Amino acid sequence: MAKCVSNKSSRRDFIKASAAASLGVLAFQSDRIFAAGSDKIRVGLVGCGGRGTGAATNCVESSQNVEIVAMGDLFRDQLDKSLARLSRKVDDKVSVTDDTSFTGFDAYKKVLACDIDMVILATPPHFRPIQLRAAIEAGKHVFMEKPVGVDPVGIRSVIESAELAKQKGLAIVAGTQRRHQNDYLEIMKRVHNGDIGEPKAGQCYWNQGDLWVSRATENWKKKQALGWSDMEWQIRNWLFLAWLSGDHIVEQHVHNLDVINWAMGSHPVQCLGLGGRQVRTEPQYGNIFDHFTVEYEYPNGARVLSICRQIPGCTNSVSERVIGTKGQCYTHGSTGYIEGSKPYKYDGKSPDPYVQEHADLIASIRSGNVLNEGRRVAESTLTAIMGRMSAYTGRALKWDWVMKASKLDLRPPSYEFGDLPMRPVAVPGKTPLV
Amino acid sequence: MQNVINEQDGAFSRRDFIKASAAVSIGTLGMTSRVFAAGSDTIRVGFIGCGGQGTSNAIDCLKSSDGVELVAMADIFQDRVDHSMARMLKAGVGDRVKVNNDRIFLGFDAYKKVLALPDVDIVLLTTPPGFRADQLAAAIEAGKHVFMEKPVAVDPVGIRSIIDSAAKAEKKGLSIVAGTQQRRMPQYIEVIKRVHDGQIGRIVAGQCYWNWGEQNWHFHKRQAQWSDMEWQIRCWPYFTWLSGDHICEQHVHNLDVINWAVGSHPVQCLAVGGRQVRTGPQYGNIYDHFGVEYEYPEGVRVLSMCSQIKGTTERVCEEVVGTKGSTYTTRGVGYIKGENAYKYEGPRVRATQQQHADLIKSVRDGKPINEAKRVAESTMTAIMGRISAYTGRALKWDWVMQASKLDLRPPEYKLGDLPVQPVAMPGKTPLV
Repeated sequence: MAKCVSNKSSRRDFIKASAAASLGVLAFQSDRIFAAGSDKIRVGLVGCGGRGTGAATNCVESSQNVEIVAMGDLFRDQLDKSLARLSRKVDDKVSVTDDTSFTGFDAYKKVLACDIDMVILATPPHFRPIQLRAAIEAGKHVFMEKPVGVDPVGIRSVIESAELAKQKGLAIVAGTQRRHQNDYLEIMKRVHNGDIGEPKAGQCYWNQGDLWVSRATENWKKKQALGWSDMEWQIRNWLFLAWLSGDHIVEQHVHNLDVINWAMGSHPVQCLGLGGRQVRTEPQYGNIFDHFTVEYEYPNGARVLSICRQIPGCTNSVSERVIGTKGQCYTHGSTGYIEGSKPYKYDGKSPDPYVQEHADLIASIRSGNVLNEGRRVAESTLTAIMGRMSAYTGRALKWDWVMKASKLDLRPPSYEFGDLPMRPVAVPGKTPLV
Repeated sequence: MQNVINEQDGAFSRRDFIKASAAVSIGTLGMTSRVFAAGSDTIRVGFIGCGGQGTSNAIDCLKSSDGVELVAMADIFQDRVDHSMARMLKAGVGDRVKVNNDRIFLGFDAYKKVLALPDVDIVLLTTPPGFRADQLAAAIEAGKHVFMEKPVAVDPVGIRSIIDSAAKAEKKGLSIVAGTQQRRMPQYIEVIKRVHDGQIGRIVAGQCYWNWGEQNWHFHKRQAQWSDMEWQIRCWPYFTWLSGDHICEQHVHNLDVINWAVGSHPVQCLAVGGRQVRTGPQYGNIYDHFGVEYEYPEGVRVLSMCSQIKGTTERVCEEVVGTKGSTYTTRGVGYIKGENAYKYEGPRVRATQQQHADLIKSVRDGKPINEAKRVAESTMTAIMGRISAYTGRALKWDWVMQASKLDLRPPEYKLGDLPVQPVAMPGKTPLV
């Protein structure tokens, strides 16, 4: 197995040739390099939690000749657990050694320094903008999990990185897998063809029960028993800290908001949000809310109702609906249909979208006609962030202000294990708008 | 009391008139208009619930029409009556306030004493909403015409009672007007008439809001001498059993407009909400924000938001979206955007007076108005949203209307101990 510093020249040359070519005669060059899956795609995994490990598995299963060759995580135990899981599931496609596995806050830099073509960025969302930038600067193709930032400063960085990737001919695919799901693709094609008429309104929901209850409880106990630093506790408990996850409206509901933006053909122009922390109030659940309602207004004046909730014992739904002048579309995870003057129901094949997104990414790399979803997913993430900021502050917000003027930057003073007081739970009307 | 003017003679003859009116109204209705022809006869008003909004109503009522007199007052507390009386005199309606000391009633059963007065034609029911249903039932039983403030109940049991009373009032030929004054604002009437005429096409969606920065509306700090019951009643907006929570107490206005425009109550709803800012025990047990999706027949979904949080964006209005255009209405403004653009630019009407003028005219003309079922449905729309937010459960109208057993009345009405019901916890608060 290759170390990170050796055996890289030939592959680096390929990549460089590809990158250079992408500025000019792209198709011609790239065909040669990755023709018919003849050359191996070497993948690094940054962020070895549940979703990272899942994404790595999906990635190597998606296409021929793909291999995980390097891994990085903040914590050794997370990395070991992930490697064990990968070895059980896709052993023949994992070639990670001690020399290509890294821990610590700068593990991602070391993975990026390895002989890899592509990196999977699956750390908590907070880290995405920094790591994406480093990946693109290092000339790597990227699969990154959603959401891709937690604040406007991070989103601007992701958009810049997406631009840089375009210039370098690098692919970016994001884990908003509905974009790679056949029923969604067919329905959205029809929406864009005018089959429901002009969109006038919409609704989207991510209402579910609780999650990570035992993990949060255990982490809270360990924080006391093992003397975890604030930073360690917060990162291991990242879902519940707004600076790490963006809150659940960003972390989960971004999926539904992405579908609405897709159908509308635009991000919203303004929003008004309400929310709170009504049930999940114990300290082990950090500082996030447990429910939000947001009204998003789109450029044609259409308003979309968004509701998301993580409270057990309530009515659940994860779905999207867009109402037009001639009909409406409804999509619900793995099913979808159009009602109205041109009814439609998808009844074709439904490949696993978590695998398909990697297949599409790798095919695009091999074809040289790379996908770049960076800007689009940044906008969907900012849609969610804007809703959160509105609910936290109680203020109606305009997209342009959030995108261009907001200075909200949730990064801690330094990335090291030590003291990091938890920010207070937001109080609308008091939490400042930054 | 110097501010009390002696009652005029003639009560006796009026009783006869009333009886004649009531008897006739069951049969040949048109003839009753003789009794109150051309304002020739005095309408006598009993006033039940002498708080701020009640007093505004009493003043509006007295100003709305000639020949109207206030003849009785009821409240639980003497100081509320005194304060109300002082305000009415200051408002320049003193010459129409003819309330003898023996016509001022205090306590929980004060309303019964007003209703027992045979010369009272109309009663104003303006106590906290938690009392409305029982008081309306008694008023209709006593054969009085009614003006009642919105909302008209706080729970489904109360709403069913209101609807029963509405049916009884209809049989008895009694008028019931409810304080949803948007129904009498010309900008609303003109815009919604156009919606019903199809000028915005088929309705596909809507939005309504009562997002407000007032966080201490009618707040009263608890005094040491107050019992639980006295504190809760004096600080009534903050207790769900009394106000129905602010989604019911205020936002009902907006929901009433949506029901009006759509031409129906909703068929189901899903809500979230909480108490994020106004969390201290002095604020009772209501929420400070709600977000509700209401679904109307044919899949029309309406977004509803309401909040009472200082320092937040304020928005109080309604919008109805159709295939050919959309409406925007708020107090003072009404317009339509789209193919059939329209803006109301006519004169304004003092709708809060107009509703009393309409009521009094209906009584004089013997042509009863009965808005009780309509306002009961609008109130139920709000109650359903609250129950959904409190429990976290999507709810169907038919279930709430027919099956819900929620009844927030306390075990007994007396100034004494009354523990505050806990703040609702979605997923834990039982659906009753």
